Amino acid sequence: MKKELKIKEKSTERTNPLARVFDDFISFCQSKSLFMLHYCTGCGAIELPPAMTSRFDMERLGIQPMVTPRQADILLITGYVSVKTLKRVILTYEQMQSPKYVIGICSCTVNGGMYWQSYATAKKLNEYLPVDVYIAGCMPRPEAVIEGLQRLKNNIKNDRKEQKGSAWKDYFRRYDYYLGNQQHLFGDDWQTPTDIIAEAKLYGLETEETYGKHTDQLLKIQKPLLPQEMKVRMKP
Amino acid sequence: MRPENYQAVQLGDSNEYEIFIGPNHPGIEGNYAFRLLLDGDTIVKGTADAGYLHRGFEKLMEGRLWIQNLALVPRICVPDPAPMEVVYSMAVEEIMGIEAPRRAQWIRVMQLELSRVAAHLFTFGGHAATTGMYTPMFWGVADRDLVLDLFEEFTGGRVYSIYNIPGGVRRELPDGFLQKLSHLLDYLESRQNDYDNLLFTNQVFVKRAKNTGTLSKKDALELGVTGPNLRACGLEFDIRKNDPYLVYDELDFEIPTQQHGDAYSRILVRRDELFQSIKILRQVIEKLPSIDGPIRTTIPNPLSWNVKTGEAYARVESSKGELAYYVVSNGKDKPYRVHVRGPSSMHAVQTLEHLAKGARLEDVAQIMFSLDACPPEVDR
Repeated sequence: MKKELKIKEKSTERTNPLARVFDDFISFCQSKSLFMLHYCTGCGAIELPPAMTSRFDMERLGIQPMVTPRQADILLITGYVSVKTLKRVILTYEQMQSPKYVIGICSCTVNGGMYWQSYATAKKLNEYLPVDVYIAGCMPRPEAVIEGLQRLKNNIKNDRKEQKGSAWKDYFRRYDYYLGNQQHLFGDDWQTPTDIIAEAKLYGLETEETYGKHTDQLLKIQKPLLPQEMKVRMKP
Repeated sequence: MRPENYQAVQLGDSNEYEIFIGPNHPGIEGNYAFRLLLDGDTIVKGTADAGYLHRGFEKLMEGRLWIQNLALVPRICVPDPAPMEVVYSMAVEEIMGIEAPRRAQWIRVMQLELSRVAAHLFTFGGHAATTGMYTPMFWGVADRDLVLDLFEEFTGGRVYSIYNIPGGVRRELPDGFLQKLSHLLDYLESRQNDYDNLLFTNQVFVKRAKNTGTLSKKDALELGVTGPNLRACGLEFDIRKNDPYLVYDELDFEIPTQQHGDAYSRILVRRDELFQSIKILRQVIEKLPSIDGPIRTTIPNPLSWNVKTGEAYARVESSKGELAYYVVSNGKDKPYRVHVRGPSSMHAVQTLEHLAKGARLEDVAQIMFSLDACPPEVDR
């Protein structure tokens, strides 16, 4: 795609006088029912069972663990991400349905933490994914995890006024930046089964920064998605 | 990878197919993956796929000061971090030719056994959850939290208590701590009946766990299995008895064993070990007030501390099995080489692959949790 194309983001203004009330109501409902996919990438996973079970009880906030990315709203990255894991994290994130939120737990997701000089880990998570809330600490206590989730809930609830709960839109708006960092780490032949540019068009979130030299590189190697043939053979 | 670039495995004239479990899967312990070749729901071949948690620990340790590494080592095994710092301190002490004072040794024993209790409670919960019983999971995690509260009180850290240094421990116990520990042990013993009724004699669990993932004694020794998994095969081997370290030779405890080597035997060994740990902790409570003296020997300024040339191999019995550190020093302020011999890489890779063969798909999670492997320790 060419850079000269001036693409304007679709206007999000609503004309219906009651739209604001509906939007607020919808975001209120969204903030009260969140399904969380916890990708146990590192040490922080050990503090999630106490936070989820009877002592700290995350469920009273309307947050429940979910096992599949397709049905989850929150992606919890618990700790350092090695390069091998980061590929799976990005794959998981791109499979999730919008609106989706990312929480980075532990200092390692903020800036590398203890492993700042390690050859095997990715240092800053928000270079590869848009992160909504960071919970620092090595490792953060369950109270801190719950505090972070509360903050995310407030951000979602007040999204229309404060514009803090929509980091996921940034992934579509600045896809070239994120893809560039991913290509820098994984090599130029990096691709995922999801089509982010088509999704950006669908949501009306494509901007100038969606395209760039990195997406050009992706289009060179990428083929359109085709249904896959079943390869299982039955016994004669 | 796009699906059209994915070369599906071409199989012969069979109805075998391949599925992936993990790394993000509720039936996998931590960030670990497993590739299965299935015929119906019987596993033909299982291949472990580790490396998701690799941080290059042994390389990182070569770049940091001796004292800085103490903050790094507990991160190797997250559910059971205390043995890591103890065994690293023991190895450095051996090179230096110093010995921790007796009071420090008793405190270390207390820390190790508390950590073992916490790790086993966590395992009960995890193992029960893989058979669809979620109440023991809630109980196990809640009871483990009481142990973590004690850790927080005497070390300052909930999970990672960087409490040991070469030459002793860092802080004296707070006032009235042993009293609180005694109350906790009373509470845990009072829970024995509940756990037995709900989990260990519950037919829902017993029928799933019996004859699942059976490991013979010969295979166990060949595969390098240690710890409770080896004792479940009937071999009475425990480093606390066979090669005593710290003050374990003065303590009175038994080594629980089982004969069958299946998942049920493994969890029973852990259950008995938990109560042996309580027995040890009771002896510590009795003995510790009568041991006076310093909690650490004097060591040089840690920021410019050159450990003299030498090498040492220290090993302890962690809740997962034999844990050892091989440390080499060339007289500099940083280690020359550190090697970690963790128990989990034997359990999670070769033993799991061995046991998965012929098992059924629904038992994979249970076999993995019954081996109590710790993925961060596999990859390091």
